[in-house]
Amino acid sequence: MGLSDMIEPVPRKTMVLFFVIDTSGSMEGTKIGIVNSTIEELIPDLKDLSGSNSDAEIKIAVLQFSTGATWLTPSGPVDLENFTWKYLEAFGVTDLGEACEELNKKLSTKAFMSEATGSYAPAIFLMSDGMPTDDYKKELTRLKDNNWFKKAIKVAIAIGDNVDRNILEEFTGSNESVLVAENSAMLKKMVRFVSVRASEVASKSSSAGNDGGFPSKQKEFEQDIKDFKDELEFDDSSAGSFDDSFDSSFDGSFDNPSDGSEVW
Amino acid sequence: MAELKIGTILKTELGNSVEVLQKLGEGGQGIVYKVSYGGEEKALKWYFRKALKNYDLFKSNLINNIEKGSPAKNFLWPIDITYEYDDSFGYVMDMRKSGYYEFSEYLLKNAVFPSITARINAAINIVAGFRDLHNKGYIYQDLNDGNFFIEPKTGDVQICDNDNVTTANKKLGIAGKCRYMAPEIVVGKATPSTYSDRFSLAVILFHLLFMGHPLEGKGTLPPCMTEELERKYYGENPVFVYDPNDSSNRPAEGVHKNVINLWKLYPQYVRDKFIEAFTKEAMIGEGNKRIIEKEWLKLFARLRGDIMTCGWCKEETFISADQEMNCINCQRQIKIPISIKNKDYNIPLFPGQRVYYAQIVHDMVNQIEKPFAKIITAKNNPRAWGIRNMSGNKWYVYLPNGEKEIAKENGEVLRLAKGLKIEYENGKYIEIG
Repeated sequence: MGLSDMIEPVPRKTMVLFFVIDTSGSMEGTKIGIVNSTIEELIPDLKDLSGSNSDAEIKIAVLQFSTGATWLTPSGPVDLENFTWKYLEAFGVTDLGEACEELNKKLSTKAFMSEATGSYAPAIFLMSDGMPTDDYKKELTRLKDNNWFKKAIKVAIAIGDNVDRNILEEFTGSNESVLVAENSAMLKKMVRFVSVRASEVASKSSSAGNDGGFPSKQKEFEQDIKDFKDELEFDDSSAGSFDDSFDSSFDGSFDNPSDGSEVW
Repeated sequence: MAELKIGTILKTELGNSVEVLQKLGEGGQGIVYKVSYGGEEKALKWYFRKALKNYDLFKSNLINNIEKGSPAKNFLWPIDITYEYDDSFGYVMDMRKSGYYEFSEYLLKNAVFPSITARINAAINIVAGFRDLHNKGYIYQDLNDGNFFIEPKTGDVQICDNDNVTTANKKLGIAGKCRYMAPEIVVGKATPSTYSDRFSLAVILFHLLFMGHPLEGKGTLPPCMTEELERKYYGENPVFVYDPNDSSNRPAEGVHKNVINLWKLYPQYVRDKFIEAFTKEAMIGEGNKRIIEKEWLKLFARLRGDIMTCGWCKEETFISADQEMNCINCQRQIKIPISIKNKDYNIPLFPGQRVYYAQIVHDMVNQIEKPFAKIITAKNNPRAWGIRNMSGNKWYVYLPNGEKEIAKENGEVLRLAKGLKIEYENGKYIEIG
């Protein structure tokens, strides 16, 4: 047994990416379809990201909420080697409060956050297309006292225009960290961008330097979101460059998009 | 979007053109393409405009680096820069050689050094690269585990991501990862300097030898490593895991297994040097307490000569002519029958051993590969050992009784015996003991 045989991979922190997904009845059809297929397709990218990152290993936890809230990963965050995406189905109401309660329960060293090597603050990614049907306030307030939640990178996508943005902002704690997906093409891009970029930012040792300034991970990510939004806007309005995925916005209306993007 | 289409042809500042052939990879700052540059295959790093905070300064610095040229051949240095296109630009560099793996891949054990010698050669090559860089007046700024590609068998190193390299007086506002940055950068008290590069270099070398982080132990294992705690552990109050005066951050059983297992295997002088590199004073005091590249090179030149295949178990192990050591694998004690007695340390001799000039004249780290001698056995008698002069100079050999023996020309062999004295340069001696 030589020296190399005595060596194990370096101990890494864990960074959990939480998907908190609204699976109420209104998500049925294209919305939940896009969420499912996009996440399924980006799992290999997250696997690569985790596999080459010596700071942290990325793990996934999935919470769906409709009538009640259920973990798709009930035994705790799953490493990407062993993770396969299970297609979510949409029915029922929008119990955001229950989702907050579940999240609060599991964001604890006694539950999901019990890694021996420790964790970086998680990334929590909420997607919703409607108004909460339960009294979410109380549970959200309690969740906001949870230290894991406080330190987490938080981001939300409002799917369509039936969502009260303010509620999502209440959840993430800032206006900058809420994106609005107006059609299926945008949703696909956003889910992809948020999942990958939030994982990148959250799973690395935080940055130092930059002339003494300390951009926090949340701020760094919000800047990325801003750049991403600018880019979407730029693509959207560039009538000269014909981009399939933004065809629907060509005449300013989202009716009958030729590429099949659904408008909500 | 700043992505380039395959087949795009771009003009460069030096009057050449590049044709985009293939996308190789993407990072936070931009995309790397394989390109044809004046008929040769090169790599093009193409920036996302938004990733560059100080666009003009960054670009002029890059042009300056192209003009000043690469510090040494193992840098994937910018050689040309494109004109602006689609609101961005890129620089041309050599392609990474095949068979090289990123340093982080070794840390994750996706890549493995087959020998200790290769691992130590990698250390030598990394240090030598940064010595060349610093000697040219450059600083690297954001040294981390993603900046090197290493060939596993030889330990040959290519240093990449040289676009943040700047001359010491320029402030580009580059940020790096806390885990690799010097404490004064982490707490925001200073901007990157040669000193801060040297701290990062010591962190990299510790990783390379001990496969773990020098500041991560049981005192730095919070359930949640928040950004505030990172500032504390890597900035305000860094504690080396083997600080002799502060045991609060020793490696944790079951977590920092590599460091616990490997630390004790290396000769004492190696451990001493790392203790010196991570004293509180070296970390949060004056930067001039940090180990300079030349000192690391001396250390690794010595360590390279203290690696031997164990006669019992046939695995590589560390040995020392100054310290009793057991095989790191089979635990049997290894006796060193004969060695070169020298000023600061003794060099163990055994068949197959190559002795380098830098082990004899310690300041000769500029020519760390320059050979001095090789130990061989007699054709018909494996117990008779000889030392072949490979130094390029004529040796004069004195017998134990002080009598001057014959000269040994370069390439000639002298039978080894205790008490011999070799004058390898005019007035400079080593002794066999």
